[in-house]
Amino acid sequence: MGEVRIGVYICHCGKNIGGVINPSRVAEFASKLPNVVVARDYMYMCSSPGQMLIEEDIKRHNLNRVIVAACSPRMHEPTFQGVLKKAGLNPWLLEMVNIREHVTWVHEDVPDKAEEKAKELVYAAVMRAQHLYEITIHRLPVVKSALVIGGGIAGIRAALDLANAGIKVYLVEKKQSIGGKMAQLDKTFPTLDCSKCILTPLMVDVARHPNITIYAYSEVVDVSGSAGDFKVKVRLKPTYVDWSKCTGCGYCTERCPARAPREFDEGLGTRKAIYFDFPQAVPRRPVIDPKYCLWFTKGICRACEKLCPVGAIDFNQKDRYIELNVGAIIVATGYELYDMTKLREYGYGKYKNVITGLQLERLSDADGPTKGKIVRLSDGKEPETVAIVLCAGSRDEKHVRYCCRFGCAAAIKHIYYVKHSVPEAKVFVLYTDIRAFGKGYEEFYQRLRGMDDVYFIRGRPAEIFEAKDGSLIFDVFDSNTGQLLSIKADLVVLESAVVPPKDWESLRRMLKISCDPGGFALELHPKLRPFETTADGIFLAGAIQGPKDIPDTVAHAAAAAAAAIGFLSKGEVESTPYLAVVNEDLCSGCGLCASVCPFDAIEIKEEGGRRIAKVNVIRCKGCGACAATCPSGAMQQNYFTDTQIVSEVSALAGGAK
Amino acid sequence: MVKVLLYLGCTIPTKQYAYEISARNVLPRLGVELVEFPEAGCCGFPLKGINKNAWIYMSARILSLASMRNLPILALCNGCDTSLRKIKTLLNEDESLRKYMAKLLANEGIELHTDVEVYHVVDLLHDVVGVNKIKELVKKPLTGIKIASYPGCHLLRPSDIPRPEDSVDPRKFDNLLSALGASVGYYPDKGGCCGATMLPYSAKYALRVVAGKIKNIKEFNFDAVSTSCPYCMEMLDAKQDAARSEVGDESISIPVFYLTQLIGLAIGLSPKELGLSLNLSPVEGVLEKLGVSLSG
Amino acid sequence: MLVSLEAKLINRKYLDSVKELVKPHTPQYCYQCAKCTSACTASKVIPEYKPHLIVALTRMGLIKQLLDSGIIWACTECWKCGEYCPQNVAPVEVIIALKNLAVASGYRPPEDLIAMARNVIELGRISPPIEVLSKEFEIYSRESLNLPPLVRPYAHESMRKTLKDLLGGL
Repeated sequence: MGEVRIGVYICHCGKNIGGVINPSRVAEFASKLPNVVVARDYMYMCSSPGQMLIEEDIKRHNLNRVIVAACSPRMHEPTFQGVLKKAGLNPWLLEMVNIREHVTWVHEDVPDKAEEKAKELVYAAVMRAQHLYEITIHRLPVVKSALVIGGGIAGIRAALDLANAGIKVYLVEKKQSIGGKMAQLDKTFPTLDCSKCILTPLMVDVARHPNITIYAYSEVVDVSGSAGDFKVKVRLKPTYVDWSKCTGCGYCTERCPARAPREFDEGLGTRKAIYFDFPQAVPRRPVIDPKYCLWFTKGICRACEKLCPVGAIDFNQKDRYIELNVGAIIVATGYELYDMTKLREYGYGKYKNVITGLQLERLSDADGPTKGKIVRLSDGKEPETVAIVLCAGSRDEKHVRYCCRFGCAAAIKHIYYVKHSVPEAKVFVLYTDIRAFGKGYEEFYQRLRGMDDVYFIRGRPAEIFEAKDGSLIFDVFDSNTGQLLSIKADLVVLESAVVPPKDWESLRRMLKISCDPGGFALELHPKLRPFETTADGIFLAGAIQGPKDIPDTVAHAAAAAAAAIGFLSKGEVESTPYLAVVNEDLCSGCGLCASVCPFDAIEIKEEGGRRIAKVNVIRCKGCGACAATCPSGAMQQNYFTDTQIVSEVSALAGGAK
Repeated sequence: MVKVLLYLGCTIPTKQYAYEISARNVLPRLGVELVEFPEAGCCGFPLKGINKNAWIYMSARILSLASMRNLPILALCNGCDTSLRKIKTLLNEDESLRKYMAKLLANEGIELHTDVEVYHVVDLLHDVVGVNKIKELVKKPLTGIKIASYPGCHLLRPSDIPRPEDSVDPRKFDNLLSALGASVGYYPDKGGCCGATMLPYSAKYALRVVAGKIKNIKEFNFDAVSTSCPYCMEMLDAKQDAARSEVGDESISIPVFYLTQLIGLAIGLSPKELGLSLNLSPVEGVLEKLGVSLSG
Repeated sequence: MLVSLEAKLINRKYLDSVKELVKPHTPQYCYQCAKCTSACTASKVIPEYKPHLIVALTRMGLIKQLLDSGIIWACTECWKCGEYCPQNVAPVEVIIALKNLAVASGYRPPEDLIAMARNVIELGRISPPIEVLSKEFEIYSRESLNLPPLVRPYAHESMRKTLKDLLGGL
């Protein structure tokens, strides 16, 4: 850019700066510094006349660097960058010096020293400004489509919101049907509406929406590219049914002779080897489970094939793969229950009558293994007493440290199930704290705690044992009554801790997003940006960000969709100005930069027979970790190069000349 | 053949002689060579309430003495086993504690070492000797006798240090009893406490604890109880009559045997070689079933 | 009874000392689920014995009444509370620490325990070998049972000294 020509502008900020130090003297000092062409002070630099002053100076004195010594750049950096832009200069030729927060506000009582410090800071800025250069912002177009991973209530809501905004949506679901955990619930708290009655209409909306394509029984196997332009590979698992021919009549599932444990019933009921997850499944297209199908296991039967009126059965199906190109990704993979067999002292898996809350949902559901009757699993008898244990595995250093966030409300709902199914049953609720924090939850809690024969015991059993008749015996200290109680229950319901899905970790690595100590996806900010991730263009919906109940999941999913819509509507993505830039002549390809990059923005590529670090300009967020790590100085960060920083620091170390 | 230091602790050599007699007679026949370890005193377990460091010091001492002999320790007592393994862990994890103990021991010419293997009878027999070897040696199987294993607290807990048995679902003791031909089975709170440690505080309450345990076992139709801890034996066997009187429940009556005594019976040793006349619980019925008599 | 919680009456010393003695356990994290008391062997026979309450009192510094009552000596050390505690408090370790602190500040442990400790100091074991009765009232001793005689522990004199120092003036 040839000769460096610097203009320095010292702001009085009314009395904020001018009441402590003498800005004219600082300007006078600055005017004598190297390559400073003009130096002025002014009452309010940020005012229109102030801005105009700079703009005119740039033109008149042919300035190519501007230093404004005023307030924090958090306040007015964009303002003065605008001035440069207007005057035809690259905005990154601006340097701000904070002589208000860093000088006059903190050193009001020592004005002489304050002025000295202001001069030193201005001097350092002048020395740094010698090495500023123009920075280009990269812009890439955005593909106006989105991938939603997971078809539970979070994925459903996000997909519908995106699709209604005119965005093409691909919804990938690993199971046969969308619907997720919510479809397995009998009722929802606190209003006790039938879960499927409010869910299935939305499932149908998804299926019918012209902007949504569902890939059920499928999984994401590879993700590449970056925000605005992701390439996603999806595996369509073999269903052994040609879904394009199938009409969903269900004749095959009725006539199939082979039975298997029904996943949808949490292992309690059975299904056929060719099956729908549940009667209202969307898509209503069956799959064959080769682990149980008689053709796959014994080479016999093929009844479904013989009976199918449209000839849709295809035993030769293999994995198929499709490639999707999307601008944004919404992760809505939900949660799983913590494996209750790990909470060994409660005997889940060992004693038949110890079940999880989700299993109780299945017992209570008319479509469940007992057609909605709550019974003891050991003998099918109606329970006279039911114990519901809260925090089973949650808030526990040996299991899951965090709160499951819906166990309390679920337990209260489960009291209702029991009392509804067996009105004369006694229910013991073993709790540590009741966290009824949601809208209407306290009222719900009040209603159920007022019921006859419902006993809230503030305590936690330590060991559950089985009595001879299959019922369960345990002692629990109740700190409400101050008594150690010995309880015999026909059924024990564990409100299990909640964890991320088992296969989530591999997907998380594909998406290159971070996780919290519990393994859930890490949000960009816990309060202000809870549905965004450190990777641009990837958003979080629902329990994959942390345990959530349905109302919170839906709110979170809608927010994620809104954020994705905003991102996709901009039409293009911009790189950060503070990009990492590689001097390829110096780069040895050691890869240290790539290993410290939190955004996975650096790749080591083979080029001309050697390894060189390449920065993805969209992924890079300008954190500077790579530049600080690079042993050869090949990696530099725009606006914070080694030369810029060293000049500034040595100026400060040497003192004002 | 495995060679171990026979570490008796306090209760066994001063009171629970049947355990010592049966262990001395049975273990060598199973291929365990017992080396005397008379210079080892108390493991310190009873001292920890007064001063935890006294406990640590006593166990550190025994670990070091064993290390000088370069042999693994076989603890017969559950309390000793817990002490030695717990202190070994503590000393290996806490450098400043280790230095402090090393200094105390140096005063008496002992160099602190913790690199010594500790076994209890149950894991030595189950994991080292092996269930199959024991099965081969059985001459008079305990067929038709349903025996409740009573591992005792300190065979199981605390589980954050290595334990001979699984803390929630102990199986080894039952496996050993099954190898002898006995029937085994579930009963509630198999890992429960006999109450012995409560004795210095209150004998009355301690007796109530053990009474509850026996009642529990009886409900599940066991013919006998077996333990491998001298404290559990003291409570279940010697204090059985007192426990029955304390709670006034005549049904509290069950034969109690050391594991080593049952193994001895199954491999054909005589009651005398097993110290069986020292058992105070009604063991006669079970012995009759096996065709042996106390006097014989 | 009304308990005054004037700042000067709260004795933090105990919680701090207990925390130090029970490391790496974390009594400061206790949230009073009372799972310990549900598990506790002693609680089942002694209604006033409640490990979760002992931890709560220790945390609050309301220790005097607790130590005066002597109830901490009822612990059977079955370790169930430590095994199942969700916050790694291990009340059993807290109670051992409290016993140590009580003894150090002049409280007297149960007499039987003192006798055991004295025997360990003097003989190396909690008791001398005793004569036992069989069911037929025959008297047996180690000798009559042909068991080898017991000897004093290795370096008994120095051990005696060290133990006396550690156990204080029992």
